[in-house]
This record gives sequence, structure tokens and C-alpha cells, in this order.
Amino acid sequence: MAMKKNQLKLLKNQAKEEIEKIKDLKDFNEIYNKYLGKKGKIVAILRSLKKLPKKERKKIGKMANDFKKFLEEKLKEKNQFFKEKVKEKKEFFDITVPGKRPLIGHLHPLTLVKRKVMEIFQSMGFEVIEGPDIENEWYNFDALNIPKDHPARDLWDTFWLKTKERLLLKTHTSPNQVRYMEKNNPPLRVIVVGNVYRHEATDASHEFQLMQVEGLMVGKEVAVCHFKAIVEEFLKKFFEKPLKIKLRPDFFPFTEPSFDVSVSCFVCQGKGCPTCKNSGWLEIAGAGMVHPAVFKNSGLNPKDWQGWAFGFGLDRLAMMKYKINDIRLFRSGDLRFLTQF
Amino acid sequence: MIFSYNWLQSFFKQKLPKPEKLAEILTLHFAEVEEVKKVGKDFAIDIDVRPNRAGDCFSHWGIAREISAITHLTFYPGGEKVKLIEDKKLKSGDFVSIGVKDKNTCLRYTARVILDVKIAPSPKRLQERLITCGLRPINNVVDITNYVMLNSGQPLHAFDGEKIEDKKIVVRFAKRGEEIITLDDQRCQLDENVLVIADSRKPIGIAGIKGGKNSGIDEKTKIVVLESANFHPQVIRKGSRALDLKTDASLRFEHGIDPNLTEKAINQAAYLIQEIAKGKVAKGIIDFYPKKVLPKIIKLDLDYLERLLGVKIPENEIKKILESLGLKIENWKLKILTVFIPTFRQDISIPEDLIEEIGRIYGYQKIPSISPLTLLKVPEKNLDLFWEDFSKDVLKEMGFTEVYNYCFFSEKDKEIFGQKNLIELENPLSQDYKYLRTSLIPNLLKNVQKNQKQFKEIRIFELGRIFLAPKKEKRMLTGLIFSKEKFFEGKGIVETLLNKMRISNLWYDQYQPTPEDSELKIWQKDKCAEIKVDGEEIGFLGEISKDILENLKIENDVLVFDLDFEKLAKLACEEHEFRPISPYPAAIRDIAVLVPRETRVEEVLNVIEIAGGELVRDVDLFDIYEGEALPEDKKNLAFHIVFQAEDRTLSSKEINEIQNKIIAALEENLDWQIRK
Repeated sequence: MAMKKNQLKLLKNQAKEEIEKIKDLKDFNEIYNKYLGKKGKIVAILRSLKKLPKKERKKIGKMANDFKKFLEEKLKEKNQFFKEKVKEKKEFFDITVPGKRPLIGHLHPLTLVKRKVMEIFQSMGFEVIEGPDIENEWYNFDALNIPKDHPARDLWDTFWLKTKERLLLKTHTSPNQVRYMEKNNPPLRVIVVGNVYRHEATDASHEFQLMQVEGLMVGKEVAVCHFKAIVEEFLKKFFEKPLKIKLRPDFFPFTEPSFDVSVSCFVCQGKGCPTCKNSGWLEIAGAGMVHPAVFKNSGLNPKDWQGWAFGFGLDRLAMMKYKINDIRLFRSGDLRFLTQF
Repeated sequence: MIFSYNWLQSFFKQKLPKPEKLAEILTLHFAEVEEVKKVGKDFAIDIDVRPNRAGDCFSHWGIAREISAITHLTFYPGGEKVKLIEDKKLKSGDFVSIGVKDKNTCLRYTARVILDVKIAPSPKRLQERLITCGLRPINNVVDITNYVMLNSGQPLHAFDGEKIEDKKIVVRFAKRGEEIITLDDQRCQLDENVLVIADSRKPIGIAGIKGGKNSGIDEKTKIVVLESANFHPQVIRKGSRALDLKTDASLRFEHGIDPNLTEKAINQAAYLIQEIAKGKVAKGIIDFYPKKVLPKIIKLDLDYLERLLGVKIPENEIKKILESLGLKIENWKLKILTVFIPTFRQDISIPEDLIEEIGRIYGYQKIPSISPLTLLKVPEKNLDLFWEDFSKDVLKEMGFTEVYNYCFFSEKDKEIFGQKNLIELENPLSQDYKYLRTSLIPNLLKNVQKNQKQFKEIRIFELGRIFLAPKKEKRMLTGLIFSKEKFFEGKGIVETLLNKMRISNLWYDQYQPTPEDSELKIWQKDKCAEIKVDGEEIGFLGEISKDILENLKIENDVLVFDLDFEKLAKLACEEHEFRPISPYPAAIRDIAVLVPRETRVEEVLNVIEIAGGELVRDVDLFDIYEGEALPEDKKNLAFHIVFQAEDRTLSSKEINEIQNKIIAALEENLDWQIRK
């Protein structure tokens, strides 16, 4: 019986040594099985207990159980140690391998810019409308106070259609001022978006098919000072930069007074750079107070109403926003361009 | 239009601002100065005078007045003094007579005669001014007419008096068949649309456009007949267009000039010829002026001025501005001004015109920026645009890139694609853009042709308008897939798009071409289908015909879906209700059916769905197999059938019963065989 006791003690010391010597997982598993496995020493000891007298059985049993606990604890420690070691161990993992991108599409830059413009104006209470691309002379010219055989018509080089009725491709979005006011009574706030067509030679800054945005606000006391506030607010929100605007005189038959809107160059903050041709300003829109003749032609009494209208090119706005240097890229269908947006 | 800085200076005793500074203030208060360029000792200032101001500002005189109004420098409108000495022994009427056939075409015709002129080059100073303004000096008399035009805005013409047959000048329309060789040796065929200056026999000049060689000044000229006329703007515009001939004179006439200007201009020219070419000016001015143009009177309400500009301008400032522009205040009662508009400002005809004058000289930069007080109102939603944006987003999410193409077709497009009902342009930019497009497909295919070298797979779409004769326009949403396994991907795209737009009852119909159908040319006949919602066709899906691909040198097959967006937007619906998730498990059973090759999947699906009833939640085709181990004319279709109830867990007994019902229904068709 003393043998048993000593044996256990010896075994414990031996186990202690062996556990300390464990170098890797293989050793660990071996030692674990040797002592705690199904055919291990502990199981054997416990099994041999029943051969012992009751009194000793209890004593040795307790010792055996302590031994088992001891082993479990030591081995757990060792195991933890190995786990940490594995965690610390560096495997080569190349994070610079390019990511796997999902297939996504792209919206056209003009769509993006159009949405942004619409969103800003809608948030200021402007309704958005569209109009036809094929127009007649009345809406495109006469109703807008642009008489037949007048040089003012030369401001718009026009595509005419070979149709029975004399029709054309609209040269500006302004016909929709009249179309809208015929059907809606002031006060009103409206934005028109649409294609316009100009019969002119193309180059990096000229196109024969363009997108335009037109704004119209009419009320009892809608004045130039309000135009300045709204257009400034729009441009600040659109370019997300602090900027200034400048009005200078211009001429449009359908507005009186008429002006041209320039915005301080946001590339150089007005100091002068190639983008603004050193002027510090970028021309952005044509505008003015709605001409009484336009009210009359829309069925409104000019004595009752006043307001302003403006128009600008979406293509130009997109070019400024994304620093695009050639207007022809928009309708080139070139995916190397389109997939950048 | 180009102006000489030194010339402008001649209207002032005080010094003008430096050229760059002058350009800046003109841009801010009058019109944009596009360029300032040094020419010798002078500066050429290029001003974009707008059409409404052509009448008075296509002249140095007019620009000088503007400068005076803006800078407050004193303007001496006379410029150089005119001291005309008429020779009392010579009478103008003895050398020329004037006849105007139609007083609506020629509002005024003023003439003078100068004798014993000595033709020579003009003085250096005069030449320099012409050169600064971009004109070529010719001889003293011709240079003087040009000089006076640039100074006053009134075009003048000089005839050699001895070349006018019977000393008669007649203003009339040309007769068909008449022709004239112009001063610069161009032969012009004339017709009834062109107004001419003729002598008793033939045209000697094209009225308001260009003089004729047969009556021009040459080195031997002794007698000069000066013309200073006012022609109807539309007559000159029409003639200039008919002849495709634009000149400095026609430009001014077609914009309209003050008829009262002719006299002042002709006297200045006669004086200069007297001084420079040493001529003797005959007594009397010949003047045809049947209906004198009188000044206008406009009433201006200062309250309206303030309300329109949104700024209160001091009354003394308003007075100063109007007067500096040469306008006269006749009366000032409380807030109502009566303003007298001299005839040189033909563009001013309504109070708003006066408000513009006051506003721009006062300075638009001085108008404050004030937010309007308006009703806080949510704008009407534009559903057309909403669905456009919505469907673009769905397609983008499915990997499609949006393109914008031109709305035009070439003759070749028309032929290759067999398009009909095209609207043709009267004045196309080039043959590539001869018609309005009737479909978005051709330009999308050209996008593929252009991109196929760089991109192996292409998925693009356009949402744009097409145009159909006589004048219809509508929006189409057309997409294209250039890759493998296209057909069913395309179908899936259409299904997802419509599903997202909450459009149900989508189905496909075999395409049934009618003999004259133009669509036939586009599609590959065995791989296309009509897309229908209920009974209505909303579009087309299919692969593009090999002929067209070959023609466009597209190297792979292409699938296109072409949807009528007007119909889609009408069918689309924003309303959507959540369907509760069943807490009871779903069970899946498989069925495999051996069917003849020509059997459509849809037929089999229909039988399963009808036989299965409500408890069949979903039927999913997961395999189609033809080939080895199967009889040659057969194919095997394998389906997952999903069973689920909303209110209970289905027992295997229930499921087996339904499954057996489905099998029985399938077996009713003797050509179909259930594989067990």
C-alpha cells in the first residue's frame, strides 16, 4: 500500500517533468493520452482502486483524484500556452492582393448632376417638369417674344424638321415657361429639365445636343433680389463650396431686364486661373425678369404678375463639377469614361 | 464687334480709364468685352454688343455714350466738328434723282453729290482707325464711308455719279434673271426677294448689302453720289440670306437703325470728302423720307421699379442715369416719371426697358440678395421622373452602365435596321444625323462596336426618347448584354426590373412577325420574344440578328431588351404590402420529368402549379438535361417543389398526397414520364 502511495508520488513527479518538457502539440497529445486518455495511467489507477481495501481505497482514491486534477490543470496551462503560441505564429498573408469587386453599374454623369439639381430645387419648393423635344415655332420663338425674321433668332441656331406642320427641335427649355403658365396659375415655382438642340459645329466646348435646366418663379413681388438669393443658394449647395455670384447685363427677348450669371471661380477662389481664363469668374447661366409679352402669351395679365426665369446647361455644370475637359465625352458612349462615375 | 480705344477717347476731353479697366466696367454695365488687343498705338476692344443694342451701339458714338453714362465723364457727341461748305452753283438735283418703288422697303433715302473729287489713299490716321477695327483701307472716298459707318452706325455707299445711267437711282426689287457683279467681284444671281439700287436700266448695287462693280468708285471718279439710306430690316435680312451674303452694312440694317440718323451721317461724310478728297459739295440734300419716325414717350412707375429690382434707388440717381443715357425726363409727378425716348434708342419701348437701363447703370451688384417670402409648400412629385430614376437605379444595381446617345440616325442606320416612320431633318448637321432616331437599339450597338476592344463583357442601357412620324415622341428603356449566356440573364433582368416596379402578370410570347414587319431585320428570329403584361405588349427581348452584327463588325452575340417606358411608368406602382413570414417550416420535394424536347418548361410548370394548389409555395426548375443516357428526342426537367402552409406544419402525409396529385396530373400527358 505504501508502494501505491510512493508510486503515485513518483508518477506525479515524472508527469510534472514530462509536462514541462512538452515542446509541441504532438508531445502534448502523447502526454495527454499517456495520463488522461481512455487507456491512460489515471484510468488504470482508478480501475485498480476496487482491488484495494475500503479504507485505503478512499485515501488512494482521493490522492488519485488530486493527481488527476493536478494533471488537468497543468495540461490546461500547457494547452493555453500552445494556443497563444499558435495565435502569435505569423503565417504569410498578402493583403495587397486586389479585392474582389462585385459587378456594379454606373449612372451617367448627366443623370447624377440632373438629380442633384432637381433635389436642391425641390427642397426649395420647386416642382420639376419636362416638355417635348419636338416644338413648334410658336412656343420656341414667337410666344417668347422672338419675332420671325429678326436677328434675335440668330441667337438660337435651329434644327428644322421635314414635317407637314413647321416643326423644330427645341433650342432651349424656355418654351415650357409658356406651356406651364398656360395651365398653372401663379404663384409658382418650377424647374424644367430637358434636351435642347443647337445647329452648330462641335468642338471640346460645343455640342449640338445638350441638356438644359430652366427655372421660373412668378408671384406678386418676385424680384431680382430674390433671384440672387435663390441662385446663390443653389450654387453653394451644388458645388458644396462658398462662392459669390455676379450679374451683368445681357439680352434675351423673353426677359427684361436680362442678365448673365457668373460664379466666382472655385478652382482659384477668384484669383484667376486657366479654368476661368484668368477672369476669376465662370459664366454659368442666362436669366432675367419675365418679359410682359411672355405673360401675355401665356394667358396671364402682366399687370398682375412678375417673376424671374433662368436657364443653364447641365453639360457645362457637370463639366465644372467633375473637371471634364471635352463636352463630347458625354454622348461618346465610351465606357472608359462612363465607368468613372 | 471691334472698337478703337483712341477713337472712343475722341468723344471725351477727360482721359478714359485704361483699356483693361474700361473693358471691365463695360462688361459689368453694358456688354461683355471679349478681348482687348494692342494694335500699333491703339487698342482694339472687342465688345459682344447684344442684338437689342445693335441699333445704336454698332458705332463708336453709341459706345462712347455708354461709357459716359457709366463713368460720368462728359460726352461730346459731336466728336469732330462738321463745317460743310455747299457750292451754291451746283445743285444736287441736277446730278441725280431718287425714286423709291415701295416705301415699306426703304424707309428713307438720303443722297448728296460731291464733285471734282480727287481719289487717292486716305490719310494715315483714318487708315489706322479702320485697321484697328479690322477693315482694309481702299481709297479716300470709300474709306470715308466706312469711317462714318463705324463712327455713327449708319452704313453709307458711294457711287460714281458718271456711271449711273440717266442720273436716275431707283430702289426696287430685282427681277428674276437679273444679276450683278459686286465690288469684290462676286457674281450674284438676283430675284424678287432681293432689293436693289438700280439706274434707269440695271441694278448698280444690292440695297443695304453691297455695291455693284459697275457703279463703284475708281481712281478716275470725279463725281461722287453718296447714299445714306434706311432699309426695312426684314427685307435686308431676307436678301442677305437668299444671297448668303453678310456685310458690315447688312448686319446693321437687319438689326434696325434709327431713320433719323441718315442726315447726320451723310453730312459728316460729305464734310470729310470735302476736306480730304478736296471735293465740292453740291447744294441741297436729296431726301426721300415719307414717314418721319418720332420719339416715344414712356411712363415709369418708381414703385414698380423698386418692386421689380428689389432695391430702392435714390431718385436723384435715377434722374442722373436717364439723362446720361440721352433720355429726357419730361415730367415727374410723385412717383410717376414721363420719359422722352430719342429715336436712336429704338430698343426702349416699355417701362421694363427703362428699368433695365436704370438697373444696369446703377449696378446689379448693388442689388441685395434676399430670400423670397413664399408659401411653404411641398412641390408636386413628378412621377415620370420618379420612375425614370427608380428604374435607372435598379439597372445600375444589376451591373448596367448608363449611356446617353445622340437622338439621330444616319441614312445607313435607316437601311441596316430597316426603320420606318422616320422624321427627317430639313438641315441636318451632317449625313450622320439625318433623321431622328426611332429606336435606341442602333446607337447602343454602336457603343458595343466601339467598346468591344477594351471590354470583354458589356452591360449598358439608355433611357431616352424616340421619335416617330408625324410628330410622336416617347421614352424607351433599352438595355444590352454583350457576354455569354445572355438570353436568360436578360430575361432575369427584365423580370427583376418589373418586379421592383411592382408590375405583375409578366409573360413572354413567341414573336409572330407580320410580313411587312421592320423589326424582323433587327432580331434573330428563333431567339426573341414579346414581353407582355396581361394582354399588352410592353417590349421586346431577343438576340440581335447575325446580319446586323456582321454589318457592325460586332464579334459576339448581343442580347437586347427594349421596353416601352411610357407603358412601364403607367403600370408601375409604389404601393407594396408585406407578406407575413410563416412560422411553420417548408418542405422540399423534387420531381424529375422526362419530356419531348419541344415541350416548353412553362407547360410543365403550369401543370405542377395547378395540381399543387395553394400549399405549393414555389416551384423551382433546377436542371434541364439532354444528352447521354436519354433517348435522343427527350429532355429531363428537374424541379424543387416547396410546400408550406401559413397556419400549420404540413405532415408528410399531406405533402405526399399533394405530390401524388402533381405526379398524376403530369402523367395525364402520355408523352411525359415521371422519373422515380
